[in-house]
Amino acid sequence: MRQMKKRYGFFIQIVLLLGGISFLASPVFSQEKKDMSPLPTEKLTLSRAVMCEAIKDFKPENAAVVFSITIGKVSCFTSFDFVPEQTFIYHKWFHKDKPSTEKRLTLQSPSWASYSSIQLRETDKGPWRVEICDQEGNRLHTLRFSITD
Amino acid sequence: MKMFMSFLASIRWQDIVDILLNSYILFRLYVLFRGTYVFRVLTGIAILWIIQRTAVFFGLILTSWAMQGITAVAALIIIIVFRNEIRSVLQAKNLKAILWGFPTTTTLTPIEIIVESVGALSRRKIGALIVFPAKEDLQDITQSGIPWRGLVSKEMIMSIFWPDNPVHDGAAVIQGDRIIDVGVILPLSYSDELPSQYGTRHRAALGLAETTDALVIAVSEETGKVAVAKNANISALDKNTHLVSILREHMGMKEEKGESLKKEKFTIGIAALVSILFVTAIWFSFSKGLDSMITLEIPVEYTKRNPEMEIVDTSIDAVSLHLAGSGTLIKSIRPEQVQVRLDLEKAVVGENIFSITQDNITLPPGIFLKKVTPPVVEVTLDKTIKKKLPVQVDWVGRLPENFILSDITIDPGTIEVVGGKRILQNISTIYTEKIQLDNIKASGLTTVSLALNPASLKIAPGSKDKIKVNYVAKERSQETQIHKKTDKLTP
Repeated sequence: MRQMKKRYGFFIQIVLLLGGISFLASPVFSQEKKDMSPLPTEKLTLSRAVMCEAIKDFKPENAAVVFSITIGKVSCFTSFDFVPEQTFIYHKWFHKDKPSTEKRLTLQSPSWASYSSIQLRETDKGPWRVEICDQEGNRLHTLRFSITD
Repeated sequence: MKMFMSFLASIRWQDIVDILLNSYILFRLYVLFRGTYVFRVLTGIAILWIIQRTAVFFGLILTSWAMQGITAVAALIIIIVFRNEIRSVLQAKNLKAILWGFPTTTTLTPIEIIVESVGALSRRKIGALIVFPAKEDLQDITQSGIPWRGLVSKEMIMSIFWPDNPVHDGAAVIQGDRIIDVGVILPLSYSDELPSQYGTRHRAALGLAETTDALVIAVSEETGKVAVAKNANISALDKNTHLVSILREHMGMKEEKGESLKKEKFTIGIAALVSILFVTAIWFSFSKGLDSMITLEIPVEYTKRNPEMEIVDTSIDAVSLHLAGSGTLIKSIRPEQVQVRLDLEKAVVGENIFSITQDNITLPPGIFLKKVTPPVVEVTLDKTIKKKLPVQVDWVGRLPENFILSDITIDPGTIEVVGGKRILQNISTIYTEKIQLDNIKASGLTTVSLALNPASLKIAPGSKDKIKVNYVAKERSQETQIHKKTDKLTP
């Protein structure tokens, strides 16, 4: 009887230990996801998405939420830290809730950065948003900004 | 025949009720006031009104104007001049008698006693003046009466007119089986046609008969002859049997009961028929007279709408109704009497087209619809739903050259709004009111309201209607430097 109790106690301890380890390793407990840092998963991971005035040396310049129409162009920069395989994403541009343009961008494995831009005209003033979607159309992120005087 | 049938089809049940009701009112007026001066004056006014309508028909402007004026004040004249008669008719009867009763003699006057008394007075040559009122009140016409209220008897009558009695010179008023007043002074007649043998007593009898519907018996003191005055006439009587029949007739007690009842029914029937014909003629002159047209702008009311739906748009707010009817009715029409109602019970989400028909329009009696403009209304309905929408700041103006707005935080980031399903399915962002950039020189916090567009959108209960916007403003050069530093650090 005593031997049976000992055996069961040992078994319960093993189960609890394994459970604790799996919990600590789970995405709920992970800080990396919050920071959009690469994860050893099969999932496409967006690490950075910003609106900027220009792209210089494959990096966004003057990231902001308000852009003057005088700069003539605005860009949406997206960087992916983990691309499992060659895929593509969409940059869907909306002006005042109405679709304006849609750009299809190819991503290469293992990590990739890509951007799309629009030329600004006088009629483009107002609130904008860019929806970043994967090839299945799932929305990964939304960027909101304004074009002003 | 076809015209007659179409005419019959145009008559509504309201018209029949209208005619019957007014006919009955006229008939009741006849029953209540017949035999009185009021009835004669009412008849005169009716004749005046017919003359006025005829004058209008023939275009006699001055005559019609004069007749209109007279008939207009006639009602007032009747009330002032005949107030006593009206009062005596209305006071003497209860509501049931006024509405559907027929006048009957309740207390029988003992005619035999009166005739016997008059005969005795005549034989003894005792002067007497006996008044039998009918429907009209004598209070304002007679004077100095002494209330008596004694039962009629031969001895009583004899004693009233006995020469030594202080009240023997006046008249005795008999109503029912009682002597109401004695020593009553009657108004004298100024007639030149009165025979010379008649004295003051006979002149008084005729005077009252000229001004009222009462019957007066006068017994001459000199000759003992009996004379009866009624309806402005006075005549001498030879036999008592004649007096009996006169009194019976005056009091509505005919000798042959069956025959009199038959005659009474015939008179009432004729009166009822004349009332219907007269009112029908008036009704025709009002409602089927010269046709007039009018156009009214009436707002459309929507009823029985599903509470879960809301009206988003309508093609029109009001319709023009082209109405026809007699000139009198058209002139008296008021816009609030006309209603246009559309039943939205079967309406669905989206566009609905309704035809405006006679069933949707309420008109006053006697007014007919000729045309509706426009005949069709488009109503767009939408279902009310709730939707959570992300909030976006609507920046305007120009940020100073050397500044850059690098980041903002919005609290709350989403707002729940209530509105039409068709509207909300096309909206994925709700914007704030415009925020000016011109004065921003550093990071800060501002509170702003939401710009609900379209205005039919509402913020759901429990959601905040003010948005806190925390913005980060940086100098452009500084921003670039920071970015470069970061880039260098990035592996």
